[in-house]
Amino acid sequence: MASGPDVGTGTPIQASADALAFKQSAPLSIGVELELQLVETRACDLTRAASDLIALVERRPHPGEIKPEITESMIEVASGIQHRYEALAAELLAVRDVLGAAAEKLNVLVCGGGAHPFQHWAERRIYDRPRFRRLSELYGYLAKQFTVFGQHIHIGCPHGDDALYLVHALGRYVPHFVALAASSPYSQGADTQFESARLNVISAFPLSGRAPFLLRWGDFTEYFAKMRRLGVVESMKDFYWDIRPKPEYGTVEIRVCDTPLTIERAAALAAYAQTLARYLLIERPVQLSEDLLLPYSYNRFQSCRFGFDGDFIDPVTQQHASLRDEIAASIERLEPHARELDTEGALAALAAAARDGASDARWMRHRYALTGSLHDLVWQQCRRWRGDT
Amino acid sequence: MTDYFFLPSWPFVMPRLFWLGVLLLAATLLGELLDRRLRLPRILGYVIAGVVLGPQVTGVLPRSQVVGLAPFLAVAMGIVLFELGSRVDLRWLRRNPWLLATSLLESALAFGAVYAILSVVGTTPLIATAAAAIAVATSPAVVLAVSKQLGAQGQVTERLQLLTALNSVYSFVAFAMLFGWLHMEARGAWGAVAMHPLYLVLGSVALAAAAAVLLLALLALAGPRGDVQTISSLGVVVVAVAVATALKLSVVMALLGMGILTRALDQHRRFLAVSFGYVDELFIMVLFALTGAALDLDLGATALAAGLGLAAARALGKAIPVFAFAKASGLSYRKASLVSVGLLPMSGLAVAMAHEAASIWPGFEPQFGAVVLAAVLILELLGPLAVQFALRRSGDAADAR
Repeated sequence: MASGPDVGTGTPIQASADALAFKQSAPLSIGVELELQLVETRACDLTRAASDLIALVERRPHPGEIKPEITESMIEVASGIQHRYEALAAELLAVRDVLGAAAEKLNVLVCGGGAHPFQHWAERRIYDRPRFRRLSELYGYLAKQFTVFGQHIHIGCPHGDDALYLVHALGRYVPHFVALAASSPYSQGADTQFESARLNVISAFPLSGRAPFLLRWGDFTEYFAKMRRLGVVESMKDFYWDIRPKPEYGTVEIRVCDTPLTIERAAALAAYAQTLARYLLIERPVQLSEDLLLPYSYNRFQSCRFGFDGDFIDPVTQQHASLRDEIAASIERLEPHARELDTEGALAALAAAARDGASDARWMRHRYALTGSLHDLVWQQCRRWRGDT
Repeated sequence: MTDYFFLPSWPFVMPRLFWLGVLLLAATLLGELLDRRLRLPRILGYVIAGVVLGPQVTGVLPRSQVVGLAPFLAVAMGIVLFELGSRVDLRWLRRNPWLLATSLLESALAFGAVYAILSVVGTTPLIATAAAAIAVATSPAVVLAVSKQLGAQGQVTERLQLLTALNSVYSFVAFAMLFGWLHMEARGAWGAVAMHPLYLVLGSVALAAAAAVLLLALLALAGPRGDVQTISSLGVVVVAVAVATALKLSVVMALLGMGILTRALDQHRRFLAVSFGYVDELFIMVLFALTGAALDLDLGATALAAGLGLAAARALGKAIPVFAFAKASGLSYRKASLVSVGLLPMSGLAVAMAHEAASIWPGFEPQFGAVVLAAVLILELLGPLAVQFALRRSGDAADAR
């Protein structure tokens, strides 16, 4: 949930005007955070292992970052700031292997997937840090139900106005990311009929949804100051928006992706985000208006529920199409930008996945159909995460 | 036949089952009381209920009844051992060989320490060896029961369960070897000297393997439904306990082995869904209440002091390797110290083993008895507290915070 290296310091950002200064960052730099499941080897249920694992990996320097999350059954790995897809993928693979080696030593398994298929939320334990304890007191059972696992993609922006343009222009593409990353078809032991059930959990939070339609950083700062004065929020971290600006990093953060079952898919999603950002910031293909966001919730729901088969309303032409065709068209549009960024391979893989309907959620349903065991499914997810299959 | 044949006969005799029921109710109440009011382990309540109702205190449950309930005890023990065994992941030892080193060395040092201290006080080598072999084992029942009741998860729990299952196996094998020596002392046939240990070890392992294969075959037939799988598992456990008893094999070795092998041979991960949930709380209750009823409290102060010395030497022998290999095996010293504490409970099986030894060589029990029984008594009552302390302090227990 909460992300960034300052997670859990427990000190709210001081009330000062520079709290929302937008830190300039290299345009189109990318970074990825992945929330992962920690699973025991006996029944493949979630287990409490995060603090032991972190103590073990912290002994030596390692690539990327490995950080605690709100419950002891989750762990987050993050890449550094990267500019190229290849380097990002390599770093993510390296940090995966560091975590994997430590986990083997402790007899813990690690896997991707947006939600654990059969865990019971009530059994979760809040990680011992002041911020997490505060969230748990505030949100009650929602905090433990928040044991869902997402991928967050950061894209660097030179300044706040660009960031806000990107936040709203990317709104159209939210269903793309949902469908391409969807890996939470099962929840609490049952098939949800959704491709991504994880986003339903997030919708329960009062500050979820999308950012207010503001396009100038000055206006946004004012909005934030008002919300702070009202006592609604303390920091940007209290907004659980699908896409939000992250001023202290100088990035825009896409938060709708389930954690995919493989590093390869996670890296490809980051490549897609980077390429889209280049296209949007350079070509400025649409004049933003609030009307463009009218079909936002409808499209988002369709993608969560039906994945690539979902219906998509084009906010500009107002035509209906399948999300599958919409993604194919989008990736085709990006071609010149993909050439510039060397992301053609990654985008081709995503286009193929959309065409074939090859979502992680579909893979999971297929595995479950073979054995009828959700326990075995998690085992297979762990193998897939390690790259064994 | 009288006109009142439909009325119960006089003097009225309650069936054995009644006393089992009384014992269970008393254990439930006392366990709840301890848990809720004092935050003490429930199993301590079960043991105390057994002691109080047993022949030593009130005699509500006379010795004949306790003996008569032995089959229930055997099945309860079987379930607990099987479940602990099934929590052992042998692949973990391959991935983290320092754990195997810890396991071998903590058992060897505990053996050495107990043997040394008993030799110093002038115990004969045979008796010292027997006591040392018994002292190697941590109580599987206490470790499993407390970690389940606390809903414990984490490194301390995992390692405690692994080390306990393994040292129980070593302890059993060492004790089986000792039977050869006992036959020698008793001037038994030469054949028995070699054959008895071999029969015990190989026979129990073979039974364990057969039961594991049978269970996995049944699980394949039963399909993925958890409840069907649990009942199949219980069925095979009961059968294995009965066969082990009938063939005069070791129930401990056979059932612990069955658990370990079921897990190791489960290539299709069919055993993943098996969970004993509330079912085994009942068996844990039977096990501890009956153990309590059979406890011998009639020990002198000298025996208690000697028992305490034995317990201390054993604790030290176990703690040193756990510490020595802590960092290498990926554990902090703090958690290593908690694992050492958790290894303290001694197994009530020691009593059964001593009886068995005495059946081969009657000279065994009087010499052996007092000190080891004192150590068992001390660790039977303190053991659950030690494990609870370790699991709460480590943060593994569900109610740790």
